[in-house]
Amino acid sequence: MNPEANGQMQREWGWWIAIYLFLGGIGGGAYTIGATNWLIGDGAEASTALGLWIGFPALAIGSICLLADLGSPTRAILAGMRPGTSWMARGFWIISIFMILAFVHFVLHLFTGASETAGGQSLLNIIAVAGIVFAVGTMAYTGILLSTSKGIPFWRSGAVPVVFVVSALVTGHFTIMLGMALGFGGQEMTEPLRIMALEAAVLVALEVLAIVFFLQAAFAHPDPRESAERILRRRSFVVGYFLLGLAVPLVLMILAYRSAAVAGGYLTTIPLGAALGLVGGLILRQSVLVCGALPTLNMGGFEFRRIARPKELKPGIGLMPPT
Amino acid sequence: MSDVMVDATVNHGSTVEMRMPRYGMVIDLKRCYGCYACVMACKTANHTPPGVFWARLLKGEMGKFPNTVRQSLPVLCMQCEEPSCLEVCPTGATVKLDDGVVIVEKDKCMGCKYCMMACPYGARYSVEKWESYFPDGLPLSPYEEFTKKAWEEKSGVGVATKCDFCRDRVADGKDPACVDACPANARIFGDLDDPDSEVSWLIKTYRGEVLNPEFGNKPKVYYLPPR
Repeated sequence: MNPEANGQMQREWGWWIAIYLFLGGIGGGAYTIGATNWLIGDGAEASTALGLWIGFPALAIGSICLLADLGSPTRAILAGMRPGTSWMARGFWIISIFMILAFVHFVLHLFTGASETAGGQSLLNIIAVAGIVFAVGTMAYTGILLSTSKGIPFWRSGAVPVVFVVSALVTGHFTIMLGMALGFGGQEMTEPLRIMALEAAVLVALEVLAIVFFLQAAFAHPDPRESAERILRRRSFVVGYFLLGLAVPLVLMILAYRSAAVAGGYLTTIPLGAALGLVGGLILRQSVLVCGALPTLNMGGFEFRRIARPKELKPGIGLMPPT
Repeated sequence: MSDVMVDATVNHGSTVEMRMPRYGMVIDLKRCYGCYACVMACKTANHTPPGVFWARLLKGEMGKFPNTVRQSLPVLCMQCEEPSCLEVCPTGATVKLDDGVVIVEKDKCMGCKYCMMACPYGARYSVEKWESYFPDGLPLSPYEEFTKKAWEEKSGVGVATKCDFCRDRVADGKDPACVDACPANARIFGDLDDPDSEVSWLIKTYRGEVLNPEFGNKPKVYYLPPR
């Protein structure tokens, strides 16, 4: 049956949540890369600085998007009072702690840089390790939030957190590369960007594997299959994400790595590949959200499909109950 | 709170034990002919806004033309024993009462809609704003004004809402509105823990089933098979 016709897709989580998940991924991914660089001794690198700087603002803007989606945002604080109950409540704490650590690390790095005393270095190292733990938690949380939603079989897969973590690392990586190419510029960025292009190509290849595994697993069961079929019919997903958001950046990153001349073209190859990869990351999350379908209900050999709850009522149909 | 309440009143010298009921519903699919009376009765009794249907009716088809059969399936909140909506609620707004009815405490709900994603039966709604039933920006009719006010007292906008087995009516000794309104007597409401109740007898005698038991939520709404 055509999923468009039975229309049993969820409509409640849309763009605000997609942007929230996307920015959460960027913040977590960028910080993980920046803090890892810091720990291995590349404190003076532009990639380290950018990674540390991006974490906090990305999460802050993402949290604003989440608040914008809440029906009663003034009660959001209640979620923090029951951290053991729900993944959303756990996420409240994971993201809050990560934001604090990222902010502290960012400020300390801004004012002290790499030229720190031994004591200061060890404090930053502790913050970096704790920050990485919570950054990975934030990246995983964006997927776990969906995979614990029992009402949407498409999301209820262990592959969703894997896809979202890999995609978070990819988008975090691309954000840093975009910043390095456009913000820092200069010929001295050529070699670091070449190395990062190789890393990005490996991460994008991993994301391809993860998304193929996720969709293949979805096709194995009737309820998620409907969502998988629907997502593969979406032009934005196939062209916007798979082709322009994964395939093209993968080729551009390989080209940039293989040729220093290409990598040196700051305003073309790398920014283009990174920007496309970022747009792809947003499309991935939005597509996964809007293609989430309610399971079919069965009774006495009959299958009962449902019309989605209307997000906005169209004039004149308000009196018609959904069948 | 204990499942068993001891009534202090003395009846002929002996103490009467009052057990907390565990409410459930039986829907006889052989009797249901899909008239939507339950849907409309629910809307009238609970003043639900446009687009919100705590009681709904699904239609299913089986067979191949010309030998096809059409079946109606009334659905509502299944008041699950193990509600997945309760598991995911981050604020504690979703509560299971002692009588087994799952409710939303409107003053605690932050409107994250996570519970809507968690309910495999799709029984929950969230109202972002109250809209008129009528098009072209017409002002609310007096009935709509009354309904809106009643809804705001009961639930309001920006929070999750769901069927509560008409708690107010049940407290007054009545059946839920959908049960009262069913012209075919296809819906029966009662205490699942009482072996002498009609619901228990029907489930046992006619092999009542729950919808999609594989979800693992242990619903308390049972269906008697259509054929």
